[in-house]
Amino acid sequence: MRLARQAWLIFRKDLLLEWRGRARTVSVLLFGVVTLVLFSFALGPEAEPLRRGAAGFLTLALLLSSVLGLNESFRLEQEDRALEGLLLRPVEPTALFYGKALGSAFLLLLLALILVPAAVVLYDLSPTPAGLLQLAGLWALASAGLAAPGTLYAAITGRLQSQDVALPLLLFPLVVPVLLGSVKAMDLVLTGDPMHQLRSWALLLAGFDAIYWSVCGILFPFAIEES
Amino acid sequence: MKRAWIGWSAVAGLALLAVGTWIGLFVAPAERHMGDVQRIMYVHVPSAWIGMVCFTAAFVFAILSLWSGRRVWDDRLVGAVEVGVVLNALLLVQGSIWGRATWGVWWDWDVRLTTSLVMLLLFAGVLALRRLADDEGRRASWSAVATIVGYVDVPLVYFCVRWWRSLHQVQSTPETVDPAMALPLRLNAIGLLLVAIWMASRRARLEGARRIAESAAPPARVVSEEVARA
Amino acid sequence: MAHVDLDLPAGGSLLLAGANGSGKTTLLRLLAGRLEASAGTLRLFGLDPRRHRGTVRSGLSMVAHHLSLYPRLTAAETLALWLRLGGEPAPADRVRDLLAEAGLEAHGNVEVGAYSAGMRKRLALVRVRIERPRLLLLDEPFSALDSEGRAWLAEWLAGLRREGVGLVLASHALEWSAPLCEQGVRLAAGQVTWSGPAAALLEAGG
Repeated sequence: MRLARQAWLIFRKDLLLEWRGRARTVSVLLFGVVTLVLFSFALGPEAEPLRRGAAGFLTLALLLSSVLGLNESFRLEQEDRALEGLLLRPVEPTALFYGKALGSAFLLLLLALILVPAAVVLYDLSPTPAGLLQLAGLWALASAGLAAPGTLYAAITGRLQSQDVALPLLLFPLVVPVLLGSVKAMDLVLTGDPMHQLRSWALLLAGFDAIYWSVCGILFPFAIEES
Repeated sequence: MKRAWIGWSAVAGLALLAVGTWIGLFVAPAERHMGDVQRIMYVHVPSAWIGMVCFTAAFVFAILSLWSGRRVWDDRLVGAVEVGVVLNALLLVQGSIWGRATWGVWWDWDVRLTTSLVMLLLFAGVLALRRLADDEGRRASWSAVATIVGYVDVPLVYFCVRWWRSLHQVQSTPETVDPAMALPLRLNAIGLLLVAIWMASRRARLEGARRIAESAAPPARVVSEEVARA
Repeated sequence: MAHVDLDLPAGGSLLLAGANGSGKTTLLRLLAGRLEASAGTLRLFGLDPRRHRGTVRSGLSMVAHHLSLYPRLTAAETLALWLRLGGEPAPADRVRDLLAEAGLEAHGNVEVGAYSAGMRKRLALVRVRIERPRLLLLDEPFSALDSEGRAWLAEWLAGLRREGVGLVLASHALEWSAPLCEQGVRLAAGQVTWSGPAAALLEAGG
């Protein structure tokens, strides 16, 4: 299928460019760690409040880092107006969307490799192996939930002068369900789930992802067109 | 012709609001538990309903705007969103006052209020986006995209917050179904709807006029480029 | 822009001449579909670009001031990506041939960001080959090229013309661009002030 093939090519191109410019990618990862540390300073040094808030801190760190990653994804296209070239070529804008959204989701997923161990250390957590697996799954769902609307909005705000404030302004209220779902679900994994609510929260996240990966894909061509 | 019709129905709307509010404040019975404070419901509930109507209209206009490409739908979208945002803002203030009077706190993460807060932020964001976009065509498609994306979020936010709160078992604002209270409620709702339609359509016309004036005038940017070169 | 009446037969070539700010770039962008006209009709390949967006777009290519190259990809990767996006395979020899056409075989595996402006322009132009356009829009293609590069470009464009590709060219370098084009127009303040054979523009001195 042409759409899938083009999306895959765009995804690979983005990964390649991220790798080549890995100094910036590493900066985004470091930023995530810095955020976690800041939360420790704001709410510590007692271990108990930190442990209880761990799910929230992780989710917020993911959210804040996502803005940097998303802006970066489109900054790559701004250099030399590369995006215009792609669009003039018969590249389906929808393929462009899915390729870039996958790229952003991948980057956010990568964050987990750094942030979860960092949180385990900083907040004195002790998740079981099953718990870690569940955290990984939840992180993937949350990353996907941020990547889809984030890519759509980054395409819009990337053209604006005030792009660095416009993206979070638009994105953050929108992803409240991802925020709540991620925090609640991760908290259940880390502190226990007596009433078996984890599955419901995970389904909520999955539902948000399904809805937004379709809606944003449909709307992306409108966001990208010149006048 | 249509304008006059909308104008007159707005007058009728104001009249209905006046009557409804008067009945609500003075004639309808006081609620058993909360007393007179509950009367704020006669403005609060209609604001919530009509706010939702405005955003739903905006959603429809957004789809039409993208589908047809005609700018007139963008104008109407602006009218609907602005009126909706204002009503939502008022809603939050009313809700806060009610909360303070009944539970002693200015804010308590009530499901409906919290959802309204997120809605306010979402649609205020749409308006902010318009200010930041300088190209007319982009402004229209971006506003429509942001409106659609935001509107789809509303039920998700609602369910999410309800779930979130249910874990804490806090009482939410009760509904009243006493028929004596239903009348002023309905009067106010219809009255507010008529006034809202009038305001939204005026705002839409204003936007249309502004848009035409903007494209007719020579671009201001040319002047600043000259200045920059000099 | 106003009062722009142009007609270009298939495979024809048109030169746009005029001072900076006269509307050459705007006109090219309108043709490319990057801008939308507020009035008037535009037909490309006999089709309305708004109705037949895909068909029109696949027949058009444009190389403008911004070359739309990714600085961090190598030339070989850029060409391979373009081939694959078009649904074609990207075997090494095909890529090599394209690089040779641009005179970049020795630099195929260097990131484009390290190239000189002339090299990047040649890469962008050869990339157009992959798109197999019926109409090529060029905005100041001779700029950023030294005389050797310009000779290369003139020859390359002549080759494209022989293959029947149409050309709309906005250029200040009349001594290079006029011989490539049959028709010419002069633009001033967004309006066409003169139209006729391109050779006449060269004689008049632009």
